[in-house]
Amino acid sequence: MLSIENLKAKIDEKEILKGLNLNIKPGEVHAIMGPNGSGKSTLSNILSGKKGYEVNGNIKFEGENLLELETEERAHKGIFLAFQYPLEIPGVNTNTFLKTSINAIKKARGEKELDAIEFLKLIKQKSSELKFDQAILNRQLNVGFSGGEKKKNEILQMSILDPKLSILDETDSGLDIDALRIVSEGVNSLRNKNNSFLIITHYQRLLDYIKPDFVHLLKNGQIIKSGNFELAKELEKVGYENFN
Amino acid sequence: MTTKKQEFKMDSRQKEIENLKDYKYGFSTDIENIRAPKGLSEEVIKFISKIKKEPEWMLNFRLKAFERFKQLKEPNWQKPKYPKIDYQDLYYYSAPKSMKDKPKSLDELDPKLLETYKKLGIPLQEQARLNGIAVDAVFDSVSVATTFKEELTKQGIIFCSMSEAIQKHSELVKKYLGTVIPTTDHFFATLNSAVFTDGSFVYIPEGVKCPMELSTYFRINASETGQFERTLIIADKGSYVSYLEGCTAPMRDENQLHAANVELIALDDAEIKYSTVQNWYPGDKDGKGGIYNFVTKRGLCKGKNSKISWTQVETGSAITWKYPSCILKGDNSVGEFYSIAITNNHQKADTGTKMIHLGKNTKSKIISKGISAGQSDMMYRGLVDISSKADNSRNFTQCDSLLMGNKCGAHTIPYIKNKNLKSNIEHEATTSKISDEQLYYCNQRGLNQEEAVSLIVNGFCKEVLQQLPMEFAVEAQKLVGISLEGSVG
Amino acid sequence: MENQIKSNFEKVISKLSFTNAQKEIKEKNIDNFLKKGFPTKRLEDWKFSDLKQIISNNFEDLNFLNENNTELKKDEIIEDLEANKLIFVNGVLFNVDFKYENLEKIEIEKNADLNEEVNQNALLNLNSAFVSNYIKVTIKTGYQFKKPLVMYNYLTEELNSSGINTRLDLDLENNVELDIVNVSNKSSNKNFLNFRQKINIGQNSILKNYSLDTNQTESIKYTHKEINLSKNSHLEYFILSTGSKFLKHDINCSLNSEYGSISLNGIINLNNDQHHEIKTVINHNEENCKSYQLIKSVLNDDSKGVYQGKIFVDPKAQKTDGYQLSRALLLNESVEFNAKPELEIYADDVKCSHGSTSGNIDENSIFYLMSRGLSYSDSKKLLTNGFLNEVIEKITNENIKNFVKKTTGIEV
Ligand SMILES: Nc1ncnc2c1ncn2[C@@H]1O[C@H](COP(=O)(O)OP(=O)(O)O)[C@@H](O)[C@H]1O
Ligand SMILES: [Mg+2]
Repeated sequence: MLSIENLKAKIDEKEILKGLNLNIKPGEVHAIMGPNGSGKSTLSNILSGKKGYEVNGNIKFEGENLLELETEERAHKGIFLAFQYPLEIPGVNTNTFLKTSINAIKKARGEKELDAIEFLKLIKQKSSELKFDQAILNRQLNVGFSGGEKKKNEILQMSILDPKLSILDETDSGLDIDALRIVSEGVNSLRNKNNSFLIITHYQRLLDYIKPDFVHLLKNGQIIKSGNFELAKELEKVGYENFN
Repeated sequence: MTTKKQEFKMDSRQKEIENLKDYKYGFSTDIENIRAPKGLSEEVIKFISKIKKEPEWMLNFRLKAFERFKQLKEPNWQKPKYPKIDYQDLYYYSAPKSMKDKPKSLDELDPKLLETYKKLGIPLQEQARLNGIAVDAVFDSVSVATTFKEELTKQGIIFCSMSEAIQKHSELVKKYLGTVIPTTDHFFATLNSAVFTDGSFVYIPEGVKCPMELSTYFRINASETGQFERTLIIADKGSYVSYLEGCTAPMRDENQLHAANVELIALDDAEIKYSTVQNWYPGDKDGKGGIYNFVTKRGLCKGKNSKISWTQVETGSAITWKYPSCILKGDNSVGEFYSIAITNNHQKADTGTKMIHLGKNTKSKIISKGISAGQSDMMYRGLVDISSKADNSRNFTQCDSLLMGNKCGAHTIPYIKNKNLKSNIEHEATTSKISDEQLYYCNQRGLNQEEAVSLIVNGFCKEVLQQLPMEFAVEAQKLVGISLEGSVG
Repeated sequence: MENQIKSNFEKVISKLSFTNAQKEIKEKNIDNFLKKGFPTKRLEDWKFSDLKQIISNNFEDLNFLNENNTELKKDEIIEDLEANKLIFVNGVLFNVDFKYENLEKIEIEKNADLNEEVNQNALLNLNSAFVSNYIKVTIKTGYQFKKPLVMYNYLTEELNSSGINTRLDLDLENNVELDIVNVSNKSSNKNFLNFRQKINIGQNSILKNYSLDTNQTESIKYTHKEINLSKNSHLEYFILSTGSKFLKHDINCSLNSEYGSISLNGIINLNNDQHHEIKTVINHNEENCKSYQLIKSVLNDDSKGVYQGKIFVDPKAQKTDGYQLSRALLLNESVEFNAKPELEIYADDVKCSHGSTSGNIDENSIFYLMSRGLSYSDSKKLLTNGFLNEVIEKITNENIKNFVKKTTGIEV
């Protein structure tokens, strides 16, 4: 589904990713761990097509050259990024935003757009699945949301937009145990043989719930070690320091 | 290995935008007109008055204004400058011929007129009753149709064209016309007093809450014609009315002048809500043509506990120059001004409000959202004046500007005068742009650049959009999006 | 009055020995002034302060002939401050004292020639017409002053119904540091003062200018400053405006190169029928510059305060950071406060905002203080002092900060 080949990225002449390789097949869940500043968010931003990076290398998504697509085109193709720091957009109602977003994607895929009633039904169903307080959806997008509410809002969006590749950038940071379980359930319910995940985290905690197929260690802009779930445990025990 | 910078490719999108940019209301209707002779003179004024079968006092009102007008100089302190207008080269009266002997009912109306309003999306037919909005439509200079009349009459509400009011409700018009905007006011207001041709008249009797939105649609059709409407709304004690105004004009190469006067009077405990969605033709991409929208709007909170609220969405016109104002004379009266003004391409706007606090415990609130794009120029100019008698009065002003690109300008000038130690004035203003991070977030959720901008700008304007009646809010939101198309890249 | 000004001018021209070129410039200026007269409220810049009215209310005649009988009572100079001094008596440079400094680094020209400049401002026309010693001070590259420079304007007791025009240009070359204090003496006679200063701040230079109008005077005063900032330079400007009967500060700053910054702070604190105005224009002409303004006014009795502040951002000036806040306390029924904070912005990647509030003192706070045993007037004083102290804390020269605290009675 996704293949990254020798990916290098610079910002303002600063080299952040230095030749990264990664393959994700349909249905797989990959976890990336790594110290702060190692380039995890940079990787997720590049996969989503954020501007401002100087990028070298190859990224193929379902056989297509991803680097040629704009951010929203990637979203239309099924790439979803749960942001590490979800943005506040003043004045924009969260429901309005969700509806605009889902219909933009549906339209691009040639599917029928949702009318107000279908949309409300979907929202109701998804938010009750995720135990997400619907009242929040009538507030301005992320404005005044607590850290946990913002993260849950990202997961709600993920489950509504039904992406093929979901990238979760430290979605678990700052969540309490209950919220963590909800987020994991959100991921697990989307998990099937076609959907893949790239989960960026510092903690084994989340991985206990989600059980990744592969775990990678990102350090100094490269994946320096890959393994299975055991690697996560080991990393948490001995720290990133001791891996080179 | 491929090397590729991640950049947005805008070419195909640019084309799409060009196509969208066409002014949706830019058709003109082929209708025979009766016109006054070109130019401005006592004769022309007498002609207008005569053709409208006006009483003597009305003619005198006009002539007095005209005398004054001859002494006034055209102001030029405003920011948007415009080429000199030759006032002798305009028609001051133009009416569709079929209106000469006014149709008694909508069925007798010229089908072409009905067609025009249908294209504008304004239902004049009685079956439009479902919409629950009473409409008065003004085509060029005359009112062509007023709907729902009977329904309103039952409650004693008068909603008719100004010409009709002058004849049938002479005492009311005579009592209030020119009391908020005197005939000797500034240049354009005085010109209007001399030559106004039609407009809407509303009277809400004591204690009556008007059961439906009242609405006027203005359309300029004839070329070389100035449009000078006059609107007068009186809300008697304890009454309430919500009034909507919409405007469009065909695309023409030359500039057209629109200088309306709107007077609102709220007596004790009365409330008037006045909303405008102004989408006059703004001129083309290079700034050719478009309407000069030089309008005087003023409301008088005459009685105690009265309230006047102006809401405007100004997206059209080559130049918009207006300051809908409130004179808060009655104790405890309230004035509000909610404004969205958007300029794109070569449009210019100099708009804002005046809140004059005279009575005790008067309150005013100003929320202004200005958005400039392209090579346009946007000015907020406002006055808050609390007099020494207006104890315990308050004003709050929030003025936000959004710039899109660096060929446009945003200019904020509030004049703040406080002569009362028991009163407070608070003013805040910001200038910002849409952040790349916000756009990226929206893009990641599948919205393209245009959709993302429209969404974020609508969020920026939310406080004002909320003030509009439902039917208008949806229209206005779309307008906000359309007006900015092609401005971000 | 115009006739008298004209005949005064003719006398000045014939008495003093100007070159023909200089005479010509002066004549142009007086003509311009006479054409326009003293500014009225019909001019946008004078909307809230009608100088023509003020002049005619205060003077029957105004004498612009400088008699030059200069005498100075020593004790009047602010003595608590160790400082260099430039002393003007009735507008004429009387004493130059740079005893703390290296004189090689300071250049003074006492009778500079006027340039021909077209000026729309009638008061600057008047100034050019009458100014007799146009002074230019240059501080050489790399020099950092050891002590502040006090510019002291002394008016003699005999001076009455006179018009005084002075002009001083100050050029800080690169890497210069200088602190200036502007002060004047008490005086009970009515005079019209028209002070003009033009200041260039060179690259990496820092100017701190403290304009202190603390002594009670009946003067009607206009001060015009034009300050140009070069790359990476900094201006700290502080106004304490409480002494004159009428005073208008007309301050025009231009950030003409990258990384310049301005911190402009002011206090208007008035009694009786005083009327003061601070008018500022900050032009952001290049990228990456910052400006910050905080103006607070406290108005008692029948006084009137005005703040007009404009931030202009040129299309080139991306990444501008401009901020402006005006707050006023109205403490009596017949005071008046007017504000016109203005933003004119032509670049999109900027952060600019302004705020303005005016109103009465918070009665809840008064109540709180009174419940702790303070009298009403003490509570009020404490609260107004707290209100003003925020501005005084912006002063970065500690000696001057303490001096200001002492003269305003604000000790914290
Ligand atoms: N816009 C930027 N400009 C300069 N440096 C950046 C920028 N964004 C990220 N960096 C730097 O790149 C490195 C990687 O950042 P990031 O991908 O956010 O790390 P992680 O998510 O792994 O903590 C850090 O050193 C960070 O400071
Ligand atoms: Mg990160």
